[in-house]
Amino acid sequence: MPSVNFSNSRRQFKLPVIRMSSGNYHDKILWKRPQHSDSFISPGSFLSSLRKNPNFRPYTYWHLVSLSLSVTQHLAMIFIFISVFVRLKERTLDPRLLVWIASTCFILGYVTWQVLDCLCKRPRQGHADRAKNVKSSILIFLSLMSLSPVLRTLTAATSSDSIWALSASLFMLNAVLADYSSSVTLYGPVNERLTSVLSMNAAISSSVVLASRLPDDPAVFALILFSVQAFALFPILRRRLQTCTVVFRAVFTWCLSLAAIILTMPLSQSVAWLYTVVLSFVSLVAPAVLVWAQKYKNEIRGSWDVAVPRVNES
Amino acid sequence: MEPISIAMITDFFHPNVGGVENHVYMLSANLIKRGHKVIVITHSHAPDRVGIRWLFPSLKVYYLPFVPIASSATLPNFFTFLPYLRTILIREHIHLIHAHASLSSLGHEGILHSHLLGIRTVFTDHSLFGFEDAASILTNKLLAGTLRNADAVICVSHTGRENTVLRGELVDESGRVRENVYVIPNALVPEHFRPDPPKSSDTVTIVVVSRLAYRKGIDLLIATAPRICNAFPNVRFVVGGDGPKLIDLLQMREELNLQDRIKLLGSIRPNDVRSVLTQGAIFLNTSLTESFGIAILEAACAGLYVVSTRVGGVPEILPDDMISFAEPEEDDVFRAISEAIDIISSGRHDPLRAHEKIKTFYDWAQVAERTEVVYDTVVKSRQMELCERMKRTMGLGPFAGPIYLIILVVDCLFFLFLEWWIPRDDMDFVVNHWDHDRFVQCVEQEQGNNIR
Repeated sequence: MPSVNFSNSRRQFKLPVIRMSSGNYHDKILWKRPQHSDSFISPGSFLSSLRKNPNFRPYTYWHLVSLSLSVTQHLAMIFIFISVFVRLKERTLDPRLLVWIASTCFILGYVTWQVLDCLCKRPRQGHADRAKNVKSSILIFLSLMSLSPVLRTLTAATSSDSIWALSASLFMLNAVLADYSSSVTLYGPVNERLTSVLSMNAAISSSVVLASRLPDDPAVFALILFSVQAFALFPILRRRLQTCTVVFRAVFTWCLSLAAIILTMPLSQSVAWLYTVVLSFVSLVAPAVLVWAQKYKNEIRGSWDVAVPRVNES
Repeated sequence: MEPISIAMITDFFHPNVGGVENHVYMLSANLIKRGHKVIVITHSHAPDRVGIRWLFPSLKVYYLPFVPIASSATLPNFFTFLPYLRTILIREHIHLIHAHASLSSLGHEGILHSHLLGIRTVFTDHSLFGFEDAASILTNKLLAGTLRNADAVICVSHTGRENTVLRGELVDESGRVRENVYVIPNALVPEHFRPDPPKSSDTVTIVVVSRLAYRKGIDLLIATAPRICNAFPNVRFVVGGDGPKLIDLLQMREELNLQDRIKLLGSIRPNDVRSVLTQGAIFLNTSLTESFGIAILEAACAGLYVVSTRVGGVPEILPDDMISFAEPEEDDVFRAISEAIDIISSGRHDPLRAHEKIKTFYDWAQVAERTEVVYDTVVKSRQMELCERMKRTMGLGPFAGPIYLIILVVDCLFFLFLEWWIPRDDMDFVVNHWDHDRFVQCVEQEQGNNIR
């Protein structure tokens, strides 16, 4: 009787492809009454087509770290946003300064985007497109400004406890659903996934509910403007940045994380430490855990799997 | 073996039509022929098929008032089935239950409950499952939990057995495959698929009878059919069946102007399958997964030469001179069909001889006889104690084990409650079973009365 090894031993990690005995199909026929009893298992052919981990490609630690950079960036962005909100709420940050910073960031980001376009040799945007961009940014700017009194009172009646809970869960949703992939892969440019839109909506809703806790209209306007930059525009830029060199992305991530921690440090030391732990866990420990967990990978393939039809492209 | 009373339990049964349904019916009929008493327990069908019905030949069917949730399967709930099952099994003096199909929760629950009454269990698995998606992982765990305590498992093909052994974790402590896993193939009624007398004509007709769905590899059909039509002016296609891919097929036919070469019949009734098959000389099966492939067998029996993709249990069911295999790739399917057309054109395939051969290969009487051997082994084997059952159940794993153990224990307590609530003494036991002679007598008497 053949034996089947179900244990997740280390050996599988070293030998990702285990072919069982070569076996032939002559033992596996149904149209002839078998000489043995029906429960007889032919040792040569049983599970002859079983393959373990056939498409197994082990991850390397540094590759995973480089992939996790965008997650770290996103988390750092959320942390920065929260500290900015706290400062606005406690009136230690002038809303007008924030508007200036946000506008500068926007222009910087737009320039970076254009530079990356040049470097990637994509079809350049014409002047008409640029004019359109400027027009829509001014439109958003003005509409946010006019909406800010409404947004401030929108959830004013809700108690603060509910607001904290709601915005925390919306930020979690935002982090979970965000699209961390690159805008260009080996197979060409890819569009954003649907979930990234949900992610953006979650973050904007979160900032809208937070805005009701702010003291005055300029603060609300500044916060919403900043949230649009951080959660709508930055992810698009981030996907584009994925195509840059690892060193640049690492430095950028490092700066963002450092900014998040430094901005939080005066507000609460313990939270700042918590952020440090979370960010370093995501970018350094989590990849190591994934690499370690790979030895438990046990993918079983055989003739029972649904075949993938191969059709010539016409 | 001594005649025993057997209860077939499955969600999939007449009036639905399909492989499992047919298997259960034919196996039951042939076991009745061998002197056993067989009943079928299944769920009700809207609008009014509920209660006890009789099917020819003296097969009693219990349609229990459970509502199916999706594709005729009921919701697994572990306990609500027990009151019905206990009463039926006691009333009918059942010795052994035979559950069918791994997606039938009634079958699983039957296996869970029947040890309470000292009844033995056999399970037949009819389909193949992968291991990768969440649905497979869940149903496989459910299957492993059920099969832990089944007395025997029957699979319909060798590939099916490999699959079931892996999915149901049918190995003992030392890693050996359990000895009570059998392979007993499906069969067919050769008389229903008699080939037409040979007619001389230059056209070669390729028949496809299949649900038009992705899993049936219709994409391959859509890709190869026009190429074949181009390469062989004397070939035409007849496609029977309905499904989501019908639109693609229609579109292809429209675009390439092949209306006179490819005939689409839409869905066909089971009774008409033979008349569709006998229109052609080659049967094409492009399935991407197939546990047994009864449609292929029916076609071969009707005298058609078969071209099939090499998937699942298909390579096991026919000898090489009756079937050509292709990998599930457009070019290879094209090659295999071309070869088959060559074989047919040169007259190297004799439909009548093929039919006679199939007759000797597959036979329901033989299947019933082989199943009877399984029953005999099971009935004679030692029954597990509750303690051993609990130990084995715990072996399912750190999470699934305790959950199944709780279900097992609660089930025992529920059973004790039922013993008190509906005592056996209050039950009406079945004393008379179907008596064919008496039936004939009654019919004749009735006819006599009418004439008078």
